[in-house]
Amino acid sequence: MRKFIIVASAVLILLFSSCGEKTPEKFTAYYFDWFDTATTIVGYADNKEDFDAVCADISAQFTEYHRLYNIYNHYDGLTNLYTVNHSDGTVEVDERITDMLAFSKEAYTLTNGNTNVAMGSVLSLWHNARTHGERHPESAALPDMEKLKAASLHTDIEKVIIDEDNNTVTLLDGEMSLDVGAIAKGYAVEMVAKSLEEKEISGYLLNVGGNVRAVGARPDGTKWTVGIENPDAESEDEAYLAYLAVESEAVVTSGSYQRYYYVDGKAYHHIIDPETLMPGENFRSVSVICDSSALGDALSTALFCMSAEEGSALVDSLENVEAMWVLPTGEIKYSAGFEKYMK
Amino acid sequence: MSKRRNDIILTAVLLLAAVAGLLLFKTLSRQGDFAVVLINGEETARFPLDTDTEFVIETDGGVNTLVIADGKAYIKEANCPDGICVDHTPISRIGETITCLPHGVVVTVKSEKASDTGLDMVA
Repeated sequence: MRKFIIVASAVLILLFSSCGEKTPEKFTAYYFDWFDTATTIVGYADNKEDFDAVCADISAQFTEYHRLYNIYNHYDGLTNLYTVNHSDGTVEVDERITDMLAFSKEAYTLTNGNTNVAMGSVLSLWHNARTHGERHPESAALPDMEKLKAASLHTDIEKVIIDEDNNTVTLLDGEMSLDVGAIAKGYAVEMVAKSLEEKEISGYLLNVGGNVRAVGARPDGTKWTVGIENPDAESEDEAYLAYLAVESEAVVTSGSYQRYYYVDGKAYHHIIDPETLMPGENFRSVSVICDSSALGDALSTALFCMSAEEGSALVDSLENVEAMWVLPTGEIKYSAGFEKYMK
Repeated sequence: MSKRRNDIILTAVLLLAAVAGLLLFKTLSRQGDFAVVLINGEETARFPLDTDTEFVIETDGGVNTLVIADGKAYIKEANCPDGICVDHTPISRIGETITCLPHGVVVTVKSEKASDTGLDMVA
Protein backbone atom coordinates (compact mmCIF):
# COMPACT_ATOMS: atom_id res chain seq x y z
CA MET A 1 0.00 0.00 0.00
CA ARG A 2 2.81 2.37 0.90
CA LYS A 3 4.40 1.66 -2.48
CA PHE A 4 1.09 2.44 -4.18
CA ILE A 5 0.92 5.83 -2.52
CA ILE A 6 4.48 6.64 -3.50
CA VAL A 7 3.98 5.67 -7.13
CA ALA A 8 0.58 7.37 -7.32
CA SER A 9 1.93 10.63 -5.88
CA ALA A 10 4.83 10.51 -8.31
CA VAL A 11 2.41 10.19 -11.22
CA LEU A 12 0.22 13.01 -9.86
CA ILE A 13 3.20 15.29 -9.33
CA LEU A 14 4.37 14.62 -12.88
CA LEU A 15 0.92 15.35 -14.30
CA PHE A 16 0.39 18.61 -12.47
CA SER A 17 3.91 19.94 -12.09
CA SER A 18 3.53 22.31 -15.04
CA CYS A 19 0.38 23.96 -13.68
CA GLY A 20 2.02 26.21 -11.12
CA GLU A 21 4.38 28.05 -13.48
CA LYS A 22 3.39 31.37 -14.95
CA THR A 23 3.30 30.76 -18.67
CA PRO A 24 3.00 33.26 -21.51
CA GLU A 25 -0.48 33.66 -22.94
CA LYS A 26 -1.50 32.87 -26.49
CA PHE A 27 -2.89 35.72 -28.65
CA THR A 28 -4.25 35.93 -32.18
CA ALA A 29 -4.63 38.88 -34.57
CA TYR A 30 -6.34 38.99 -37.96
CA TYR A 31 -5.73 41.38 -40.86
CA PHE A 32 -7.25 41.82 -44.30
CA ASP A 33 -4.93 44.51 -45.59
CA TRP A 34 -2.23 42.72 -47.54
CA PHE A 35 -1.83 40.71 -50.74
CA ASP A 36 -5.59 40.49 -51.28
CA THR A 37 -5.87 37.73 -48.69
CA ALA A 38 -6.36 37.11 -44.97
CA THR A 39 -3.41 37.30 -42.56
CA THR A 40 -3.31 35.65 -39.15
CA ILE A 41 -0.66 36.18 -36.48
CA VAL A 42 -0.56 33.79 -33.53
CA GLY A 43 1.94 34.47 -30.78
CA TYR A 44 2.80 33.86 -27.15
CA ALA A 45 3.51 36.90 -25.00
CA ASP A 46 3.45 37.83 -21.31
CA ASN A 47 0.64 40.30 -21.94
CA LYS A 48 -1.50 41.85 -24.67
CA GLU A 49 0.71 44.96 -24.88
CA ASP A 50 3.80 42.92 -25.72
CA PHE A 51 1.86 40.97 -28.36
CA ASP A 52 0.45 44.16 -29.87
CA ALA A 53 3.93 45.67 -30.09
CA VAL A 54 5.24 42.68 -32.07
CA CYS A 55 2.13 42.78 -34.28
CA ALA A 56 2.67 46.48 -34.97
CA ASP A 57 6.22 45.69 -36.14
CA ILE A 58 4.97 42.81 -38.34
CA SER A 59 2.13 45.00 -39.66
CA ALA A 60 4.44 47.82 -40.66
CA GLN A 61 6.69 45.39 -42.53
CA PHE A 62 3.84 43.65 -44.38
CA THR A 63 2.40 47.02 -45.38
CA GLU A 64 5.71 47.94 -47.02
CA TYR A 65 6.06 44.62 -48.83
CA HIS A 66 2.43 44.78 -49.94
CA ARG A 67 2.95 48.21 -51.50
CA LEU A 68 6.28 47.37 -53.12
CA TYR A 69 5.00 44.13 -54.69
CA ASN A 70 1.61 45.55 -55.72
CA ILE A 71 0.85 45.35 -59.45
CA TYR A 72 -2.66 46.85 -59.26
CA ASN A 73 -2.06 50.14 -57.42
CA HIS A 74 0.24 53.11 -57.62
CA TYR A 75 1.24 54.84 -54.37
CA ASP A 76 2.39 58.45 -54.36
CA GLY A 77 6.14 58.74 -53.95
CA LEU A 78 6.73 54.97 -54.21
CA THR A 79 8.27 53.01 -57.06
CA ASN A 80 6.63 49.58 -56.98
CA LEU A 81 5.89 46.75 -59.43
CA TYR A 82 2.97 48.74 -60.83
CA THR A 83 5.52 51.39 -61.78
CA VAL A 84 7.78 48.76 -63.35
CA ASN A 85 4.90 47.27 -65.37
CA HIS A 86 3.87 50.69 -66.63
CA SER A 87 7.33 52.00 -67.53
CA ASP A 88 9.45 51.70 -70.63
CA GLY A 89 13.11 51.05 -70.03
CA THR A 90 15.08 50.68 -66.83
CA VAL A 91 13.49 51.47 -63.45
CA GLU A 92 15.37 52.00 -60.22
CA VAL A 93 13.62 50.12 -57.41
CA ASP A 94 13.86 49.20 -53.73
CA GLU A 95 16.32 46.42 -52.95
CA ARG A 96 13.42 44.30 -51.68
CA ILE A 97 12.08 44.22 -55.26
CA THR A 98 15.34 43.18 -56.93
CA ASP A 99 15.98 40.56 -54.21
CA MET A 100 12.51 39.06 -54.67
CA LEU A 101 12.78 39.08 -58.47
CA ALA A 102 16.24 37.48 -58.36
CA PHE A 103 14.75 34.75 -56.15
CA SER A 104 11.85 34.39 -58.61
CA LYS A 105 14.28 33.76 -61.46
CA GLU A 106 16.01 31.05 -59.40
CA ALA A 107 12.60 29.52 -58.67
CA TYR A 108 11.79 29.55 -62.39
CA THR A 109 14.93 27.53 -63.14
CA LEU A 110 14.40 25.20 -60.18
CA THR A 111 10.79 24.41 -61.17
CA ASN A 112 11.49 24.07 -64.87
CA GLY A 113 9.40 27.13 -65.70
CA ASN A 114 6.37 26.16 -63.63
CA THR A 115 6.45 29.39 -61.62
CA ASN A 116 6.97 32.33 -63.90
CA VAL A 117 6.64 35.90 -62.61
CA ALA A 118 6.83 37.12 -66.23
CA MET A 119 3.35 35.70 -66.93
CA GLY A 120 1.59 38.99 -66.12
CA SER A 121 0.11 39.37 -69.61
CA VAL A 122 -1.65 35.97 -69.33
CA LEU A 123 -2.62 36.27 -65.67
CA SER A 124 -4.12 39.75 -66.10
CA LEU A 125 -6.61 38.29 -68.63
CA TRP A 126 -7.64 35.72 -66.00
CA HIS A 127 -7.72 38.36 -63.27
CA ASN A 128 -10.02 40.60 -65.31
CA ALA A 129 -12.31 37.72 -66.28
CA ARG A 130 -12.56 36.55 -62.66
CA THR A 131 -13.19 40.04 -61.26
CA HIS A 132 -15.91 40.61 -63.84
CA GLY A 133 -17.44 37.17 -63.17
CA GLU A 134 -17.56 37.81 -59.41
CA ARG A 135 -19.30 41.13 -59.88
CA HIS A 136 -21.61 40.08 -62.72
CA PRO A 137 -22.23 36.34 -62.36
CA GLU A 138 -24.87 36.42 -65.15
CA SER A 139 -22.26 37.40 -67.74
CA ALA A 140 -19.27 35.52 -66.25
CA ALA A 141 -17.00 34.18 -68.98
CA LEU A 142 -13.60 32.60 -69.53
CA PRO A 143 -10.85 34.71 -71.06
CA ASP A 144 -10.59 34.32 -74.82
CA MET A 145 -8.13 31.51 -75.71
CA GLU A 146 -6.76 33.39 -78.73
CA LYS A 147 -5.98 36.36 -76.49
CA LEU A 148 -4.38 34.05 -73.90
CA LYS A 149 -2.19 32.50 -76.60
CA ALA A 150 -1.21 35.89 -77.97
CA ALA A 151 -0.37 37.07 -74.44
CA SER A 152 1.70 33.95 -73.76
CA LEU A 153 4.18 35.07 -76.45
CA HIS A 154 5.25 37.81 -74.02
CA THR A 155 6.23 35.76 -70.97
CA ASP A 156 9.95 35.14 -71.51
CA ILE A 157 11.56 35.55 -68.09
CA GLU A 158 14.98 35.96 -69.75
CA LYS A 159 13.70 39.36 -70.84
CA VAL A 160 13.33 40.45 -67.21
CA ILE A 161 16.71 42.00 -66.47
CA ILE A 162 17.65 42.40 -62.81
CA ASP A 163 20.67 44.47 -61.85
CA GLU A 164 21.30 43.70 -58.20
CA ASP A 165 24.30 46.05 -57.96
CA ASN A 166 22.36 49.10 -59.10
CA ASN A 167 18.90 47.92 -57.97
CA THR A 168 17.23 48.26 -61.33
CA VAL A 169 14.67 46.25 -63.28
CA THR A 170 14.27 46.31 -67.06
CA LEU A 171 11.52 44.57 -69.03
CA LEU A 172 12.97 44.09 -72.53
CA ASP A 173 9.60 43.12 -74.01
CA GLY A 174 7.25 46.12 -74.07
CA GLU A 175 4.17 43.89 -73.94
CA MET A 176 5.29 41.81 -70.98
CA SER A 177 4.37 42.45 -67.36
CA LEU A 178 5.23 41.02 -63.95
CA ASP A 179 2.73 39.13 -61.74
CA VAL A 180 4.32 37.94 -58.51
CA GLY A 181 1.18 36.32 -57.07
CA ALA A 182 2.88 32.93 -56.85
CA ILE A 183 5.87 34.14 -54.88
CA ALA A 184 5.52 37.58 -53.26
CA LYS A 185 3.33 36.53 -50.30
CA GLY A 186 5.61 33.67 -49.34
CA TYR A 187 8.70 35.79 -49.90
CA ALA A 188 7.36 38.61 -47.71
CA VAL A 189 6.41 36.14 -44.95
CA GLU A 190 9.93 34.71 -45.03
CA MET A 191 11.53 38.16 -44.82
CA VAL A 192 9.31 39.21 -41.90
CA ALA A 193 9.99 35.91 -40.12
CA LYS A 194 13.74 36.41 -40.58
CA SER A 195 13.56 39.93 -39.18
CA LEU A 196 11.76 38.59 -36.08
CA GLU A 197 14.44 35.92 -35.67
CA GLU A 198 17.14 38.60 -35.89
CA LYS A 199 15.39 40.46 -33.06
CA GLU A 200 15.37 37.16 -31.13
CA ILE A 201 11.58 37.09 -31.05
CA SER A 202 10.26 33.57 -30.73
CA GLY A 203 6.93 31.80 -30.26
CA TYR A 204 5.15 33.35 -33.26
CA LEU A 205 3.31 31.84 -36.19
CA LEU A 206 2.61 33.91 -39.31
CA ASN A 207 0.05 33.05 -41.96
CA VAL A 208 -0.59 35.11 -45.08
CA GLY A 209 -3.16 33.38 -47.26
CA GLY A 210 -1.96 29.83 -46.63
CA ASN A 211 1.75 30.71 -46.36
CA VAL A 212 2.50 29.63 -42.80
CA ARG A 213 5.89 30.20 -41.18
CA ALA A 214 6.81 29.34 -37.61
CA VAL A 215 9.20 31.65 -35.77
CA GLY A 216 10.50 29.44 -32.99
CA ALA A 217 8.55 26.80 -31.08
CA ARG A 218 5.95 27.52 -28.41
CA PRO A 219 7.44 28.94 -25.19
CA ASP A 220 7.18 25.53 -23.50
CA GLY A 221 9.34 24.08 -26.27
CA THR A 222 6.56 22.06 -27.87
CA LYS A 223 5.90 22.28 -31.59
CA TRP A 224 3.02 24.09 -33.26
CA THR A 225 0.14 22.24 -34.85
CA VAL A 226 -0.61 23.34 -38.41
CA GLY A 227 -3.63 21.83 -40.12
CA ILE A 228 -3.81 21.16 -43.85
CA GLU A 229 -7.19 22.33 -45.11
CA ASN A 230 -9.40 19.73 -46.79
CA PRO A 231 -9.81 21.16 -50.31
CA ASP A 232 -13.12 19.34 -50.67
CA ALA A 233 -15.36 21.92 -49.02
CA GLU A 234 -18.50 19.86 -49.62
CA SER A 235 -16.98 16.96 -47.71
CA GLU A 236 -18.78 15.93 -44.53
CA ASP A 237 -15.51 14.45 -43.32
CA GLU A 238 -12.69 16.19 -41.55
CA ALA A 239 -12.14 19.87 -42.30
CA TYR A 240 -8.40 19.12 -42.13
CA LEU A 241 -6.53 16.35 -43.91
CA ALA A 242 -3.40 16.36 -41.79
CA TYR A 243 -2.03 17.87 -38.61
CA LEU A 244 1.65 18.80 -38.85
CA ALA A 245 4.10 19.49 -36.04
CA VAL A 246 6.46 22.35 -36.91
CA GLU A 247 9.00 24.41 -35.02
CA SER A 248 10.62 26.84 -37.45
CA GLU A 249 9.51 25.46 -40.79
CA ALA A 250 7.19 26.89 -43.40
CA VAL A 251 4.01 25.10 -44.50
CA VAL A 252 2.50 26.43 -47.72
CA THR A 253 -0.60 25.22 -49.54
CA SER A 254 -1.70 26.08 -53.06
CA GLY A 255 -5.27 24.99 -53.66
CA SER A 256 -8.03 25.34 -56.20
CA TYR A 257 -10.44 26.17 -53.33
CA GLN A 258 -8.57 29.33 -52.31
CA ARG A 259 -9.81 31.61 -55.10
CA TYR A 260 -12.20 30.83 -57.92
CA TYR A 261 -15.22 32.03 -59.85
CA TYR A 262 -18.07 30.29 -61.61
CA VAL A 263 -18.75 30.17 -65.35
CA ASP A 264 -21.87 28.22 -66.30
CA GLY A 265 -21.88 26.52 -62.92
CA LYS A 266 -18.27 25.30 -63.14
CA ALA A 267 -15.63 26.68 -60.77
CA TYR A 268 -12.46 28.07 -62.37
CA HIS A 269 -9.61 28.67 -59.94
CA HIS A 270 -6.63 31.00 -59.97
CA ILE A 271 -3.56 28.77 -60.47
CA ILE A 272 -2.89 28.96 -64.19
CA ASP A 273 -0.81 26.24 -65.85
CA PRO A 274 1.86 27.94 -68.05
CA GLU A 275 1.50 25.11 -70.62
CA THR A 276 -2.30 25.06 -71.10
CA LEU A 277 -2.95 28.69 -69.99
CA MET A 278 -5.94 27.23 -68.09
CA PRO A 279 -6.41 26.46 -64.36
CA GLY A 280 -4.28 23.42 -63.47
CA GLU A 281 -6.38 20.27 -63.14
CA ASN A 282 -3.91 17.71 -61.81
CA PHE A 283 -4.65 18.35 -58.12
CA ARG A 284 -7.06 19.95 -55.69
CA SER A 285 -4.22 21.18 -53.54
CA VAL A 286 -0.50 20.78 -52.96
CA SER A 287 1.16 21.50 -49.61
CA VAL A 288 4.88 21.95 -49.11
CA ILE A 289 6.93 21.82 -45.90
CA CYS A 290 10.39 23.36 -46.09
CA ASP A 291 12.72 25.81 -44.35
CA SER A 292 11.62 28.88 -46.27
CA SER A 293 8.16 30.23 -46.92
CA ALA A 294 9.46 31.88 -50.11
CA LEU A 295 10.60 28.53 -51.52
CA GLY A 296 7.45 26.86 -50.20
CA ASP A 297 5.22 29.35 -52.03
CA ALA A 298 7.10 28.97 -55.32
CA LEU A 299 7.19 25.18 -55.04
CA SER A 300 3.54 24.69 -54.05
CA THR A 301 2.41 26.72 -57.09
CA ALA A 302 4.82 24.92 -59.42
CA LEU A 303 3.94 21.44 -58.10
CA PHE A 304 0.26 22.25 -58.60
CA CYS A 305 0.91 22.56 -62.35
CA MET A 306 3.41 19.69 -62.71
CA SER A 307 2.52 16.02 -63.09
CA ALA A 308 2.69 13.90 -59.93
CA GLU A 309 5.77 12.07 -61.26
CA GLU A 310 7.65 15.21 -62.28
CA GLY A 311 6.74 16.98 -59.03
CA SER A 312 7.68 14.09 -56.84
CA ALA A 313 11.07 13.80 -58.59
CA LEU A 314 11.65 17.52 -57.95
CA VAL A 315 10.75 17.23 -54.25
CA ASP A 316 12.99 14.18 -53.82
CA SER A 317 15.90 16.07 -55.40
CA LEU A 318 15.68 18.87 -52.81
CA GLU A 319 16.92 18.67 -49.26
CA ASN A 320 14.53 19.40 -46.39
CA VAL A 321 11.54 19.70 -48.71
CA GLU A 322 8.45 17.52 -48.33
CA ALA A 323 5.12 17.68 -50.10
CA MET A 324 1.58 16.37 -50.01
CA TRP A 325 -0.62 16.18 -53.12
CA VAL A 326 -4.43 15.92 -53.02
CA LEU A 327 -5.68 14.44 -56.28
CA PRO A 328 -9.07 15.30 -57.85
CA THR A 329 -10.31 11.88 -56.66
CA GLY A 330 -9.50 12.81 -53.06
CA GLU A 331 -6.58 10.39 -52.98
CA ILE A 332 -3.54 11.78 -51.15
CA LYS A 333 0.11 11.26 -52.08
CA TYR A 334 3.00 12.07 -49.75
CA SER A 335 6.71 12.55 -50.40
CA ALA A 336 9.01 10.08 -48.62
CA GLY A 337 9.66 12.18 -45.51
CA PHE A 338 6.31 13.95 -45.17
CA GLU A 339 4.91 11.61 -42.56
CA LYS A 340 7.58 12.42 -40.00
CA TYR A 341 5.86 15.82 -39.59
CA MET A 342 2.39 14.32 -39.16
CA LYS A 343 0.82 14.16 -35.70
CA MET B 1 7.59 -13.32 -5.62
CA SER B 2 3.93 -12.40 -5.52
CA LYS B 3 4.89 -9.04 -4.09
CA ARG B 4 7.03 -8.30 -7.12
CA ARG B 5 4.22 -9.41 -9.43
CA ASN B 6 1.84 -6.99 -7.69
CA ASP B 7 4.34 -4.20 -8.17
CA ILE B 8 4.52 -4.90 -11.87
CA ILE B 9 0.73 -5.01 -12.17
CA LEU B 10 0.38 -1.78 -10.19
CA THR B 11 2.95 0.03 -12.34
CA ALA B 12 1.37 -1.25 -15.54
CA VAL B 13 -2.13 -0.19 -14.43
CA LEU B 14 -0.92 3.29 -13.45
CA LEU B 15 0.95 3.72 -16.72
CA LEU B 16 -2.08 2.59 -18.71
CA ALA B 17 -4.33 4.95 -16.77
CA ALA B 18 -1.95 7.86 -17.40
CA VAL B 19 -1.72 7.12 -21.12
CA ALA B 20 -5.51 6.66 -21.43
CA GLY B 21 -6.07 9.93 -19.56
CA LEU B 22 -3.67 11.80 -21.82
CA LEU B 23 -5.29 10.39 -24.96
CA LEU B 24 -8.76 11.27 -23.70
CA PHE B 25 -7.60 14.78 -22.81
CA LYS B 26 -6.05 15.22 -26.25
CA THR B 27 -9.19 14.08 -28.06
CA LEU B 28 -11.56 16.11 -25.92
CA SER B 29 -9.46 19.26 -26.01
CA ARG B 30 -9.81 19.43 -29.77
CA GLN B 31 -13.55 20.08 -29.73
CA GLY B 32 -14.26 23.78 -29.15
CA ASP B 33 -16.89 25.53 -27.03
CA PHE B 34 -17.57 28.78 -28.92
CA ALA B 35 -17.80 30.17 -32.42
CA VAL B 36 -16.20 33.60 -32.27
CA VAL B 37 -17.09 36.20 -34.90
CA LEU B 38 -14.51 38.84 -35.81
CA ILE B 39 -15.04 41.72 -38.22
CA ASN B 40 -11.80 43.29 -39.46
CA GLY B 41 -9.98 41.50 -36.67
CA GLU B 42 -12.20 42.77 -33.84
CA GLU B 43 -14.33 40.29 -31.91
CA THR B 44 -17.99 41.27 -32.30
CA ALA B 45 -19.87 38.21 -31.06
CA ARG B 46 -19.45 34.68 -29.71
CA PHE B 47 -21.90 31.80 -29.65
CA PRO B 48 -21.79 28.55 -27.69
CA LEU B 49 -21.63 25.62 -30.09
CA ASP B 50 -24.08 23.58 -27.98
CA THR B 51 -26.99 25.96 -28.68
CA ASP B 52 -28.54 26.02 -32.15
CA THR B 53 -28.88 29.56 -33.45
CA GLU B 54 -28.80 31.75 -36.53
CA PHE B 55 -27.10 35.15 -36.64
CA VAL B 56 -26.68 37.71 -39.40
CA ILE B 57 -23.18 39.18 -39.40
CA GLU B 58 -23.49 42.74 -40.70
CA THR B 59 -20.38 44.38 -42.13
CA ASP B 60 -19.72 47.47 -44.23
CA GLY B 61 -19.25 45.20 -47.23
CA GLY B 62 -22.37 43.07 -46.80
CA VAL B 63 -23.90 40.29 -44.71
CA ASN B 64 -23.05 36.67 -43.84
CA THR B 65 -25.61 34.42 -42.13
CA LEU B 66 -23.94 32.29 -39.47
CA VAL B 67 -25.72 29.11 -38.36
CA ILE B 68 -24.88 27.04 -35.29
CA ALA B 69 -26.44 23.58 -35.52
CA ASP B 70 -25.51 20.13 -34.19
CA GLY B 71 -22.46 21.57 -32.44
CA LYS B 72 -21.02 23.02 -35.63
CA ALA B 73 -20.84 26.48 -37.17
CA TYR B 74 -21.17 27.36 -40.84
CA ILE B 75 -22.13 30.23 -43.15
CA LYS B 76 -25.55 29.51 -44.68
CA GLU B 77 -25.79 32.58 -46.92
CA ALA B 78 -23.69 35.59 -47.82
CA ASN B 79 -23.85 38.36 -50.39
CA CYS B 80 -20.08 38.47 -50.95
CA PRO B 81 -18.92 38.18 -54.56
CA ASP B 82 -17.02 34.89 -54.29
CA GLY B 83 -19.18 32.86 -51.88
CA ILE B 84 -16.13 30.95 -50.68
CA CYS B 85 -17.27 31.23 -47.03
CA VAL B 86 -20.58 29.53 -47.91
CA ASP B 87 -18.76 26.63 -49.56
CA HIS B 88 -16.66 26.01 -46.43
CA THR B 89 -17.39 22.85 -44.48
CA PRO B 90 -18.92 23.29 -40.95
CA ILE B 91 -16.37 23.87 -38.17
CA SER B 92 -16.33 22.67 -34.55
CA ARG B 93 -12.76 22.03 -33.45
CA ILE B 94 -10.46 24.49 -31.72
CA GLY B 95 -8.68 26.68 -34.25
CA GLU B 96 -10.93 25.80 -37.20
CA THR B 97 -11.76 28.94 -39.13
CA ILE B 98 -14.03 30.21 -41.88
CA THR B 99 -12.92 33.42 -43.56
CA CYS B 100 -14.91 35.77 -45.79
CA LEU B 101 -12.23 37.91 -47.39
CA PRO B 102 -14.51 40.42 -49.18
CA HIS B 103 -16.38 41.24 -45.93
CA GLY B 104 -13.37 40.97 -43.59
CA VAL B 105 -15.15 38.33 -41.51
CA VAL B 106 -13.52 35.52 -39.54
CA VAL B 107 -15.47 32.84 -37.68
CA THR B 108 -13.18 30.75 -35.51
CA VAL B 109 -13.71 28.03 -32.89
CA LYS B 110 -12.33 28.60 -29.41
CA SER B 111 -12.48 26.76 -26.12
CA GLU B 112 -13.23 28.01 -22.60
CA LYS B 113 -9.77 27.08 -21.46
CA ALA B 114 -7.29 29.81 -22.28
CA SER B 115 -4.44 27.35 -22.67
CA ASP B 116 -5.92 25.14 -25.35
CA THR B 117 -3.30 23.30 -27.36
CA GLY B 118 -5.43 22.43 -30.39
CA LEU B 119 -4.88 23.65 -33.91
CA ASP B 120 -2.62 26.73 -34.09
CA MET B 121 -2.93 27.58 -37.79
CA VAL B 122 -4.25 26.31 -41.09
CA ALA B 123 -2.34 26.17 -44.36
